[in-house]
Amino acid sequence: MEENRYALQMQDITVEFPGVIANDHVSIDCKKGEVLGLLGENGAGKTTLMNVLYGLRPPTSGKIFLDGKEVQISSPYEAIENGIGMVHQHFKLVDTLSVIENVVLGIKEKKQKLDLEPAKKRLKELCEEYQLYVDPDEIVWRLPVGKQQWVEILKALYRDCKVLILDEPTAVLTPSESDHLCQAIRQIIKKGCSVIFISHKLREVMDITDRITVIRDGKMIGTIKTSDANQLILAEMMVGRPISIDRKPRSLYPQSEPVLEMHNVNAVDERGIPALRNFSLTVNSGEIVGVAGVDGNGQRELAECIAGLRKITSGSISIKGKPVTGVIADPSFLGFIPEDRQKTGLVLDFSIADNMIIKDYHEKPFAQKHMLQYKTIKKHAREMIRKYHIKTPSEDVKVRNLSGGNQQKVVIARELDPEPVLDIASHPTRGLDLGAVANVHETLLKERNRGAAVLFISAELQEIMALSDRIIVLFNGEIMGELDGESADQNVIGQMMLGQRAEVKE
Amino acid sequence: MNASGKSKTIRLPLLGDMAVSFGRTLLGILMGLVASGILIAISGANPFTAYGALLRGALGSRYAISNVLVRASPLLLGGIGVALGIKSGLWNIGMEGYMYLGAIGASVVGVFDLGLPSFIHIPLCFLFAMAFAAVWGAIPGYLKAYRGVNEVTCTIMLSYVAIYLTNWVVSAFPPIAEIGAFYPMSKKFADSALLPILMRGSSLHAGPFIGVLLCLIFYFILNYTPFGYQTKLLGSNPHAAHYAGVDARKQMVKIMVLGAIIGGFSGAIEVMGLNRRVYMDFVTNVGYESVAVALLAGGNPIGVIASALFFAALKAGGATMSIETGVSSSMNSIIIALCMLFVIGVGVADGRRQQKIVDNSKDDESESKELETAKGEV
Repeated sequence: MEENRYALQMQDITVEFPGVIANDHVSIDCKKGEVLGLLGENGAGKTTLMNVLYGLRPPTSGKIFLDGKEVQISSPYEAIENGIGMVHQHFKLVDTLSVIENVVLGIKEKKQKLDLEPAKKRLKELCEEYQLYVDPDEIVWRLPVGKQQWVEILKALYRDCKVLILDEPTAVLTPSESDHLCQAIRQIIKKGCSVIFISHKLREVMDITDRITVIRDGKMIGTIKTSDANQLILAEMMVGRPISIDRKPRSLYPQSEPVLEMHNVNAVDERGIPALRNFSLTVNSGEIVGVAGVDGNGQRELAECIAGLRKITSGSISIKGKPVTGVIADPSFLGFIPEDRQKTGLVLDFSIADNMIIKDYHEKPFAQKHMLQYKTIKKHAREMIRKYHIKTPSEDVKVRNLSGGNQQKVVIARELDPEPVLDIASHPTRGLDLGAVANVHETLLKERNRGAAVLFISAELQEIMALSDRIIVLFNGEIMGELDGESADQNVIGQMMLGQRAEVKE
Repeated sequence: MNASGKSKTIRLPLLGDMAVSFGRTLLGILMGLVASGILIAISGANPFTAYGALLRGALGSRYAISNVLVRASPLLLGGIGVALGIKSGLWNIGMEGYMYLGAIGASVVGVFDLGLPSFIHIPLCFLFAMAFAAVWGAIPGYLKAYRGVNEVTCTIMLSYVAIYLTNWVVSAFPPIAEIGAFYPMSKKFADSALLPILMRGSSLHAGPFIGVLLCLIFYFILNYTPFGYQTKLLGSNPHAAHYAGVDARKQMVKIMVLGAIIGGFSGAIEVMGLNRRVYMDFVTNVGYESVAVALLAGGNPIGVIASALFFAALKAGGATMSIETGVSSSMNSIIIALCMLFVIGVGVADGRRQQKIVDNSKDDESESKELETAKGEV
């Protein structure tokens, strides 16, 4: 193979929308067998650039070369034909079909009868080759998010892609899943395939890429070799100022008393497999308890059990002494930021104003004499928009049309503004950009200082360590150990996340 | 950039929203009429004369208009029942069955002269009609909500049961059936149980007006009451409804039963206002047409008024068209079907266009706007 042949070159790509230039003469190139990092904050134009490459959006100007030849890509079909594979941030899988059905979906066969056996065999070989083990017959919605992503990757590999685009692949992954992904990426490039890795997380980009191109506000800031870069340089290139998530200073909350009490709770997941095992936990007022752990180890079920959305099979849960028996929809009692804001936390087709009253639409002052008081509802929404800095032209805008960060602000405003005694924040920063993340962290800390008991579930170890007063580590539905937030050691937590119990404390 | 971003967002208040959705529907109907016109031309008639005859048949005289209104009555009521289901994410398409059950219910007290004055006898018939239908609707409601049975299959199958149950009642159930009649039918309703005719020489009864009124009422309920909010919440995002503490199962049963009650009411109006007896197969297909009415209206109660009247006009005018121009009477169904296809098609195309607008703002405008403020805040 010739040295230095580029698998992909994109030259002077410009994409204009009315009033906005999303990409301003951006050029990237990616060698064969190389991982190119595409780094930039949300809205910087990374996804737009990749959509151009994948034929989802025509560029205003610019050229694309594959393997040195200029190509015109005007649809995803042509992109796939040209050996480009893309794993989108929001997966494009058919939830109700099995893994293998998703993998072969769209591939044209000469035969009239659908025979999945050869495809299964091929998929199993691919699983083996890249160590991404997925059961071909499992229905996709039953898989954890991490595995769904593997399906997406396998789908692209199955189509013999030469250039694989991963759009924010770790946004939904846990540290260990991310590590696994990194291994898989190394396997993929060994075969001569190139990978474009889009992210705004510095650490991973440093870990996995060979070179990094930074984009800010639609403009290309520069490309550097990863070996020449460090997190500080990249962060400054990315946002134009240094950033870090440091542990937040705090003072001891004076009148701490137990708010959430769980004793020997057991619960099962959708498949009937135990998700929580003899789980006992107390969260006091004025403290943040961080729940660390690899995603899919019972975090979702934990949050749902507390909120009354999931029945427990044994044990007891009480909040402020009141046992949890059904769904708690009283926002002045429990504030719950669910892990999937679009699916659970919001009604995308409702306006902001309507989303603000999702839990108390039947109560005063929003409803009186069986009538919705839209004057009050809208006034309340405008107040929330102002107080929580939600960027929107009006309260009548559908939530679907807001950005991820602003959608999350709607959820946070609704859940936390009534000053609940207990806050459950389930992956509240997932998929948000740095500015929005800082905003959420600040809000949670404010909640703690107000005296709320905060249960903070996250897969990002850094933010757990920055925010928590106490940290528990969840593995396979059990608590592996409890650590003090001030003195917790990342390596100890890491070990617990993999299922090793805490050493006896000295 | 902020300023340009803001000017991009077009604000649509309620009226604007309605204008857009009505405009979309009208465009679809227009395209359907053009396409049908081509078919009429192929079948050998002049489409302009044919449509002229259709228009005259539907709106040419007071009697023609009253005929359209009478035909619109079950479509309006059935349509609103189905539309409520659509808004809450349920396919409550067993209107036909509810109408039959309503008719039986009404006949149980309606065919006897109970010595009651009309203003008591008529409501009593309605009450029985609604109660019978409510029970009928509660069956699929319960099965769907608590046992996970698919409501589409369930309601359709129950409709067939209802049809044959009615056939039995009117042909062999002595207290109600007119035994020995030339066609299976019930006894005639007592005079005190008949709806008054509003226009001499026509069969115009109060049904269509009640239907329009109910559509308006349900538009109001859906948009301005907690019950309506809850219904839309469940239909738009059942996960969020559960999270917000809505008892989805209860609400499902409520909506199914409510739809059934309206359907039963509509069946009673048919027999008490128009037929004066319960005939075998007296609502052939009207129940299913009301599903089409609701779909054409996109589940919007105000839209149901327009689409029910449109359907009724086509049905009434179509008869005149086929008599005057020799176009086959099945052309009616073809026109209706084509109009629906085009309305749905226009809706899909428009949906895609709006999706694009959303995509743009999501990728670039709003997030970069947010980024700027976020930076400012930190």
